[in-house]
Amino acid sequence: MSRVSSTPTIRVALRRSSFWVIAGVGALLVAVIGFFVAGAGGSAGPRLGAENPAPAGAMAVVEVLRQQGVTVVPVDTLDEADAAIAKVGTATLFVSDESGYLSSEQLGRLGTLASQTVIADPDFLALQALAPEVGFGGVSTADALTAQCTVAAAERAGTISPGGKTLGLPAGTAGYTGCFPGDNNTYSVIERVADAGTITLVADTAVFANDEIATYGNAALALNLLGSTDTLVWYLPTLADVPVTGPPSLGALTPGWVTPVMLLLAAVSIAAMVWRGRRFGPLVAENLPVVVRANETMEGRARLYARGNARLRAIDAIRIGAVGRMAQAAGLPRSAPLDQVIRTVASLTSRPPDQVHAVLVGEVPGSDAAMMALSDAVDELERATSLAARPPGTGPSPTAPPSTGRMEP
Amino acid sequence: MTLTGRFVLLVALGVVPIVLLGGTTATAVAVLAAWLLLALTLGSIDLALAASPRRLSMERVLPARVRLGEAVTSELYVSNEGSRRLRGVVRDAWQPSAGAGNNRTAVLLPPGERRLVELTLIPTRRGERTASHVTVRSMGPLGLWARQATLTAPARIRVLPPFHSRKHLPSRISRLKELDGRTSVLVRGQGTEFDSLREYVRGDDVRSIDWRATARRNDVVVRTWRPERDRRIVIVIDTGRTSAARVADEPRLDTAFEAALLLAALASRAGDRVDFLAWDRRVRARVQGASGAELLSRMVDGMALIEPELIEMDWTALPGQIRAITGQHALVVLLTPMDAPGASTGLLSVLGQLTARHTVLVASVTDPTVVGLTRKRSTREDVYRAASAERTLLDQTRVAAAVRQLGADVVTGAPDELPPALADRYIALKAAGRL
Repeated sequence: MSRVSSTPTIRVALRRSSFWVIAGVGALLVAVIGFFVAGAGGSAGPRLGAENPAPAGAMAVVEVLRQQGVTVVPVDTLDEADAAIAKVGTATLFVSDESGYLSSEQLGRLGTLASQTVIADPDFLALQALAPEVGFGGVSTADALTAQCTVAAAERAGTISPGGKTLGLPAGTAGYTGCFPGDNNTYSVIERVADAGTITLVADTAVFANDEIATYGNAALALNLLGSTDTLVWYLPTLADVPVTGPPSLGALTPGWVTPVMLLLAAVSIAAMVWRGRRFGPLVAENLPVVVRANETMEGRARLYARGNARLRAIDAIRIGAVGRMAQAAGLPRSAPLDQVIRTVASLTSRPPDQVHAVLVGEVPGSDAAMMALSDAVDELERATSLAARPPGTGPSPTAPPSTGRMEP
Repeated sequence: MTLTGRFVLLVALGVVPIVLLGGTTATAVAVLAAWLLLALTLGSIDLALAASPRRLSMERVLPARVRLGEAVTSELYVSNEGSRRLRGVVRDAWQPSAGAGNNRTAVLLPPGERRLVELTLIPTRRGERTASHVTVRSMGPLGLWARQATLTAPARIRVLPPFHSRKHLPSRISRLKELDGRTSVLVRGQGTEFDSLREYVRGDDVRSIDWRATARRNDVVVRTWRPERDRRIVIVIDTGRTSAARVADEPRLDTAFEAALLLAALASRAGDRVDFLAWDRRVRARVQGASGAELLSRMVDGMALIEPELIEMDWTALPGQIRAITGQHALVVLLTPMDAPGASTGLLSVLGQLTARHTVLVASVTDPTVVGLTRKRSTREDVYRAASAERTLLDQTRVAAAVRQLGADVVTGAPDELPPALADRYIALKAAGRL
């Protein structure tokens, strides 16, 4: 017998599936290219991120500063910021704590780190810790914001983009200089000169963001604020700044091998799936016959009788069958008329013919109970007839059902 | 390609080095990677060293036929034409109804050698059972990974009807023999012929004494008769939709086969000529002009492939089919269900034509449970079911009466009773000389 294998070899399988492999690789390529094309305009990275080219990022100002010779050091935690400043001695610290990760203590420490500190969009805690006199001023309604102050950077900028958040500074507060004033003692930029260093609060982040840096005097303000020293520490607080509280986590308590063992168990289960799931050759098909029970129609007819409460029809069927058997038992011909059968049965069982007539013909069952009683009466009459028709002392016991070979002659 | 439980165990054993050596997460991950690499390398080496399951040749030895219910041995010779020793498992893929049981056999095949893979088949269903392919799984020397291929190796075996009713055959044949040499003139009829003269013994019917022969000899001599031989019998089986119904978990068709086989065996032994026709709207099987053992073998061969068809029996074409088989007077046995007057109108409409030329016997399977259901009347549902069962019996009686009215004879019985009942009726007809 020839040895023709229906299992493809690896080469044949590869050739057969080459279309799908090529199509899959193509789809992957399109997805990757699309991701990069779309990613250029999308928001990737944190707001005001130093490496974030999205509209909300701050890559533009950072790159310009770098070109001007300023060393920009992006850091993620307060300790890193501290270390970076301590390394160079004099540096400008830019902070934007959008998510409010820093606590009051950390903010207090923050104010003393660098000689120049620029805080973009300070939150309530930051104001409490670093400039307690300053409050929030709401959103500016002024059409144009001009410097109107003596801060050098603000004077050089002249204007900034209007419509952002502002900070409130009560008139005549000593040690603070408010710039770009709006209504009711609100300012967009507030500078506080303290012993530890200069803290500049910029109320709105739009000044540094990529999409608005080129409008009004935003760029001048940002570059002048941030570029005054050779080093700029770009500090965006992250979750790592949040102090750890409570007992050590489960992850810290588990030994190092737990995760790899779980990975190994995953690999074992995959191997076990292949081991048990690999089919030992294709299935063998076979056409099987449908099972049709012969008494299906009989059962169906019984259910139809029951659903339609066809009591008379049902009991008549039972009566006709019983009359046939009784006629046979009494020795009457198959074609004997019903009246003759009734008379013979009545005389055999010594019952009044009217009663036999009622059981076999006359009575109409009005309820299921009456039908069942009538069915029992017919049965009893049939037994009595077969008992009376049989010569005494012969044949089987009267409880045995009578012969039913009715189709046989 | 597939892998074994041993490989799964090998991967799972990686827990030991990971726990022992992996103090920190980094080292544990490194140990994990190294272990997985080791396992994959061992598996790949194993796979590369496994013998090719494609370089095998198969040869089958299998009887062409088996009777349903009997066991048969399927022999599959597997030769290794490759250069490596093949250690693996062979699966001989028979259809489920072939009754192969566990069809996986472990084999060890050195290069160039041949091994026998035996499988005992006990088919569970009549008809053609096939096997299309053989799947071979070849393990590597380490038993980690295995190569697998499916090779085409077709086989087929024809499962014949069981002919359970052959147990009734000896008793019927002996009764048939008793007909020979009977002297009673009462049995004499059209189908009997003069056999011989013999001496009178006490008990012989005095009316069969041949007085002339007695006068010639000084002894009382009687004539003996024997049933006429070379009568024609045409067995027609209805394979239409109603033959699919199951009575006592056996399709009516299969019961009809049993009855037909018993009758054919008996009639062929009695010297009659038997023709067989399975018909619904076209001829499903036809056996003509065979006798003796050949008749039975051709009949079971033809029956093996017949399944009930989902179409109505075409009765109007039947007289033509029978005329094509024989123009003479014959005993036509129709094996068909007789359930309801509505469903039997086709049969009744052609029966007159058939009885005009032939002796017709209609044999039908009845459901023995129906009679029991007429006696069971304890609940409301039971009473309705009993009424329905009575109605069914009345319908059958009416059809049988109509068939008798048209001059045909009727034999009915439960599935296990019908074949001997039909054989008995045949013997009775033969004894009466009505063939």
